[in-house]
This record gives sequence, structure tokens and C-alpha cells, in this order.
Amino acid sequence: MLIQTPPEGIYDELFDEDNRVRPSCRMLEDWLIKSDEDLLAEKRREADVLFQRLGITFNVYGEDQGADRLIPFDLIPRVISATDWQRMQAGLRQRVQALNRFLFDIYHDFDIIRAGVISAEQVFANPQYQPGMQNLKLPRNLYSHIAGIDLIRHNDGDFYVLEDNLRCPSGVSYMLENRRMMMRLFPELFAQAPVAPVEHYPALLGETLRAASLKPNPTVVVLTPGRFNSAYFEHAFLARQMGIELVEGADLFIRQNRVYMKTTIGPQQVDVIYRRIDDDFLDPLAGNPDSMLGVPGLYAAYRSGNVVLANAMGTGVADDKSIYPYVPDMIRFYLGEEPILKNVPTWQCRKPRDLQYVLDNLPDLVVKETQGAGGYGMLIGPRASKKELSHFRSLLKARPDNYIAQPTLSLSTCPTFVDEGVAPRHLDLRPFVLSGKKIQMVPGGLTRVALKAGSLVVNSSQGGGTKDTWVLEGDEC
Amino acid sequence: MLSRAASSLFWMARYLERAETQARLLDVSLTMALIDVPEDREEQLSVPLLVTGTREVFDELYNDITPQNLIDFLLLDDRHPASVFSVIRSARDNALHIRGNLSADVWESINSAWMELKELRHKGVTESNASRVFDWTRERSHVFRGAAYGTLLRNDAFHFLRLGTFIERADTTARVLDIRHHMATKSLEGHPTQSFFEWTALLHSLAAFEAYQHTYGHNIEPMNVAELLILKPDVPRSLRACLQEIASLLEQIQSGDARRARRLASSLYANIHYGDREYIEERGLHEYLTDFLERIQRISGQIQKDYMGWKQ
Repeated sequence: MLIQTPPEGIYDELFDEDNRVRPSCRMLEDWLIKSDEDLLAEKRREADVLFQRLGITFNVYGEDQGADRLIPFDLIPRVISATDWQRMQAGLRQRVQALNRFLFDIYHDFDIIRAGVISAEQVFANPQYQPGMQNLKLPRNLYSHIAGIDLIRHNDGDFYVLEDNLRCPSGVSYMLENRRMMMRLFPELFAQAPVAPVEHYPALLGETLRAASLKPNPTVVVLTPGRFNSAYFEHAFLARQMGIELVEGADLFIRQNRVYMKTTIGPQQVDVIYRRIDDDFLDPLAGNPDSMLGVPGLYAAYRSGNVVLANAMGTGVADDKSIYPYVPDMIRFYLGEEPILKNVPTWQCRKPRDLQYVLDNLPDLVVKETQGAGGYGMLIGPRASKKELSHFRSLLKARPDNYIAQPTLSLSTCPTFVDEGVAPRHLDLRPFVLSGKKIQMVPGGLTRVALKAGSLVVNSSQGGGTKDTWVLEGDEC
Repeated sequence: MLSRAASSLFWMARYLERAETQARLLDVSLTMALIDVPEDREEQLSVPLLVTGTREVFDELYNDITPQNLIDFLLLDDRHPASVFSVIRSARDNALHIRGNLSADVWESINSAWMELKELRHKGVTESNASRVFDWTRERSHVFRGAAYGTLLRNDAFHFLRLGTFIERADTTARVLDIRHHMATKSLEGHPTQSFFEWTALLHSLAAFEAYQHTYGHNIEPMNVAELLILKPDVPRSLRACLQEIASLLEQIQSGDARRARRLASSLYANIHYGDREYIEERGLHEYLTDFLERIQRISGQIQKDYMGWKQ
């Protein structure tokens, strides 16, 4: 089958700048050339039916409740060489370690603020900052036990961190199901390629969650907002894979500052909650009083040290886009190391000079809300109409502190099976970093891919798809 | 395990068992309506409504009892909470709720049943293709049971699921036996030629025709039928078989404080275990079954109170 080559000036995961196939991808190219389009189309239909049967679906907000949608799954894997992965892994370790140190610091000693690296206002005025977390002693001083770090590969071939997700990053179940699906559909590929396994992720997650408590044999549960949440499939999947209870707020209650779940043999104490509910909804007495999702009194129990939340309350302050520009400085400050992974250059519109630059160069920039997520509320300058540009100009002037801007990065592309055949599409990568007794991750992560030609939006809520991510073991391939 | 999960497992299994029952009842009634003398046709067709106590709901939604109306009502009507469509939807809702407690195989069997049923409903079911849907429903029920037996850990999740199955089944057997036995006895007096078919209809509704022949031979005697479906431990849908399971499951389930459901179930089981056909004859079958139905409902309610009720 014919593989469309990528446009110039963009890093492609399969082809190098001279349109030669990269050494780590030769096996993949052989396979693609030999495969015919009908076979791939048939395999894709098979995958759709299987995903539908397995119920690997997500709910889209704003659509009918219970409308199950499949995230489009692409059959062509994205390959990462062993060398690239080792460097990325070291960079992720370093980054997550620094972020956890930062969170500890801003809830205890404020060293980084006193040193003048980050302003007090940046931290304390951040709506995600939880004053109630000050001086709270958390086991192992860990805040973000599970982090999802979004990376892209720029046209210089380097990986850049696009975003740190330290609250409830999702998508890991798709990483695992995508691998299972690929092994089922194309076993012969795995016989040839030394693909590093990811299947042990739930075991590592379980280990991490148990290590979040200092108790010898803690009871761990997954707390979900319930079946209408877009990531409900993942919550149930992880609970089952770890062999622990999947609970909703109504299954828990607090007695004498301890958390119990309502079981068939009476109350059973819970020690660690892997919560997939945002801070504000966890406890109607402490956060949003209208929340039906949380548990009244949970925050007080947490503050008494009788239960561990993973991730901790108040981690959102560190993954905010207004804090993001400082992460390289954090790494230097806390670890005394040079950052391994690059940040995307970022203009902070709260700074008048940055704002002026952004207003002057708007058509070339991407503007994002500091609190935004899911690809909503952003402006992609080069794709925007005049009307959108002027709309964003007024938004920026009205609330500059609400926005950051970045150059339009060229996300790398990877061959993807679309209606036009096998064509290059932009993608990113979200590895999942687990912090317990040590920092662990499985090789790779979730690769999200924009399915429309030229599109940079990879979010599943906006029509993006996913593909299997292969980290190759050794470099012999 | 979580009380909510126990409740969902229990109801999920009840609903799936109910789907199978509905299909069997309707299947037999439609067949009987073809065999029956014309004036009794409507009576035949109304059996599934009597057994499930849904005659009133039906009358509100439909004008008269025709095969097609019954098919619509019992198989596909989403306004009827006990239609095959509704109960499979409810089972799937419950399954979704407790997905963490199910094996992938069990979840998949329920989820794909739901997907296929939506497709079937979309295509429509008529008298001429209804049998295919009956077969489908029975098969889906078998697949679910097979997946549960073959892949679930034998823990309380499994026990609550099986409790749901057997409570529903005991309830169904008692109701079907009560109504069909009455009709068969009546026709024994009125239309003797008809009676053989009536008895076979009863036995087919409870998948016990082969069991009867194996135990008693070809001649169908009313009290033999009652004995078979109440007292025989080796007939899967007999009251005794169901109660034996229920009592033993309740013994296996982890129990905190005193549990009344256990006592109620063991006591009802002992009644059947040490009962005999003379007692049932003396008491009168209808009275015996009415009493049984009350007691099985009390057990079901008590199970929910003991293990699933959490009033804070």
C-alpha cells in the first residue's frame, strides 16, 4: 500500500527529512507496504465491533446521557526508539519529582517564593491553591501520585512538554486497551518487533496507591463520579484490574473523622482513595455545597490524616498554565539539575510586555486559558478568522491574567489510516508517571492523533483518535 | 463487598432471569393459542400477563389481546418495565454500575446482548419471526450464565448474583405452576383432548418436559407435575432446587450481625425438603403456592434489608 509522505518542515515519526524511513521503523514500513487497504479496513471494522462489545466508550458532555461513543482507534502504531524513551523517561522523572517538591514547598516553607523564583501572588492567588492544605503532613510528602504529562515532538526532533496533568489525568485505559487490540488484530507484528510491554500498569498503580499510605496493608478504593462521567469506563477498568472496590460518593460515609464504605457486612474503613473527582466536588461541606458526588466530611477526615487522597487536594495549582512556564526553574531550584525535557516558550499575558507581544503577534500564536482543558476556550492564531482574532483581543485585554500564549508548534506526524489511505497526521503523547516509594512508569503512554488533515487538535472530545504506542526495546530494530 | 454492588448484582441477575422467563412464557402461549380451541385462545394468550401480574398495564397500553400486541408488549415495549427489552436494559444498567465487580466475559455478554437487542427491536418482531427472538433470548441467558459460572471468582459478588437468579426463578416457577396447573386441571374436566397440551405447555414453560418424561413416563398426572416442580431436588427449576441454592448461598455469604434472611430461607427450605405430595394435596396446591410466594417475597425483601439497605 502507498504511504503518503509528510509535508516539508514537519518532523515525521516514520520518515526522516530526506523521506527515508527511520531505522526504528523499518519493520513497520515493511508491514504497511505489504498490507492492502481492504485488509486494514476490515481490521478496523473488527476493532470497532470489539471496542463496542467491550464497552470501551466514553460519554460526550452535551450529548444525550448515556450516549456511548467510541474513540476512533487507529491501526498504525507510533514507534518510539529506545534511546528516545530513555531520555524521555529520565526527563519525566525529573519533572514530576520537581513538581511534587514544589507542591510540598508551597504548602509548607515557601522557599521558592522567598527565593524570588515565583511570585507569591502567582501561587496564593491561584484559585486552585488550597490554603487548608498548609502544613498538612502527607505520607512521603507526595501530592501527585499519578501524573499525565503531555508531550509533543517539535520539528527540531526534540520532545517538548505541552502540559502537566497532576489532578485526575485520564486515558491510561485506552493505552492498555489499544495494546490489547493490536496484539489481537496483528499478532504477527509483535512476533517480529521487540515492543516493550505496558500490561503491568495496573500492578504498578496498585503498588503506588498502597505506598501512598504508611499503613502496612491499606484498603484502597477508586472513587468515581459515576457512570455518566466521560471517563467512567476507565474508573471501572482500573478498579477491576487492581481488584479493588469502585465506589461512588454515596457508598462512603464519615464517622469520627474516618472514612468507611457501606458493605454487606457493615462499615469497612478506607485508607486510600484514588479519586477521580475534582477537588471542588469531593466534599460538599468544604467545596461546592451542591455536589452530590462527594462525601460530606471527607476533607476533615483527610486533614486528620485518617485517609490518603491520590492525588492530594490542591495539586491543581502546579499544573496550571500560568505555573507551567516556571517548571524548568523549579527543576533547577529543587534538584539543582538542568531540565531534560523542554518547555514550550510561553508568554504570560499577565505580564504587560508579554501581553503587548501577544496582541501584536496574535495570528502566529496559540492562546490558551490558564485553567482550560480539553481543547476548549483556545485560539489557534494561524487558523482563526478575523472575527475570532478580534474577539480574543478583547478577551485578552479584559482579563490578561486568564491567558497564556505560545508559538504555533508543529506537532510531529505519523502515518495514520484514514479515508484518504495512509497519510501523515499530527499527534501527541501522554505518558503516565507514578510516584510512590519510587517513581515508575510503563514504556510509552497514550498517543492521541488528530484525524483531520492538518488539524492540531488531538482531544478525544473534539474528534481526535488514539493509537498504540510502541517503545522498542534495545536499538537493533 | 459494597452494599450497592451487591444490590446491583442481585437485580442484574433477576432481570436476566426474567428476560428468559418472559420469552419462554410467551413462546409457549403463542404455540398453545394455535393449538387451542378458538374460544380459549384469548385465555391462552393472557397467561403470560397473569403470571407476571401485568394484565392491567397491558390493558392500559393495548386494546385487545392479539399475538402481535403480546409480542410488542412482552418483548419490546419500553413502557413496560418487565418487557424483555426493559429488563435487559435494566440488567445492563446495573452491570454498568458494578462493572468493577464483573469479569470482562460477563460484562461483554450483557453489553453485547443489549446491543443486539437494540438491533432486533429496530428491525421489528412479528409473529412469523418471533421464535428467532425467543431462541435468541434463551441463548443470551445461557451465555450470561455460562460466562458467570466460567469466569467469576467464587466470592460474595458471585453469591449475590446467584441469589438473584434463584429468587427470581423460585418466584416464577410458583406463579407458572399456580396458573397453568389451574388451567390444565380445568381443561381436564372440559376438554379432555386439550389437557395433554396444557400439561406440556406448563412443563415447557419451565423447561421441565424432558425431566417429567424421564421421571414419570408419558402419562401426565396433575399431582406428578406438582410434585416434580415443587419437591424434586434434581429439576433445575423446582422450588426445592431453588430453595436449596438460596439457603446454601445465604450460608456462604459473609455475614456481620444476625441475619434474618438466612433463618427465613432455611426454614422455607426445610418445609419443602421434608414436605410431601400428600401435604400439598391436603393443603390445596393454590393455597400452598400462595403461601410459598409470600414467603419467597419476604426472603427477597429481607436479603435487601440485611445486606443492601443503608439508611444513614
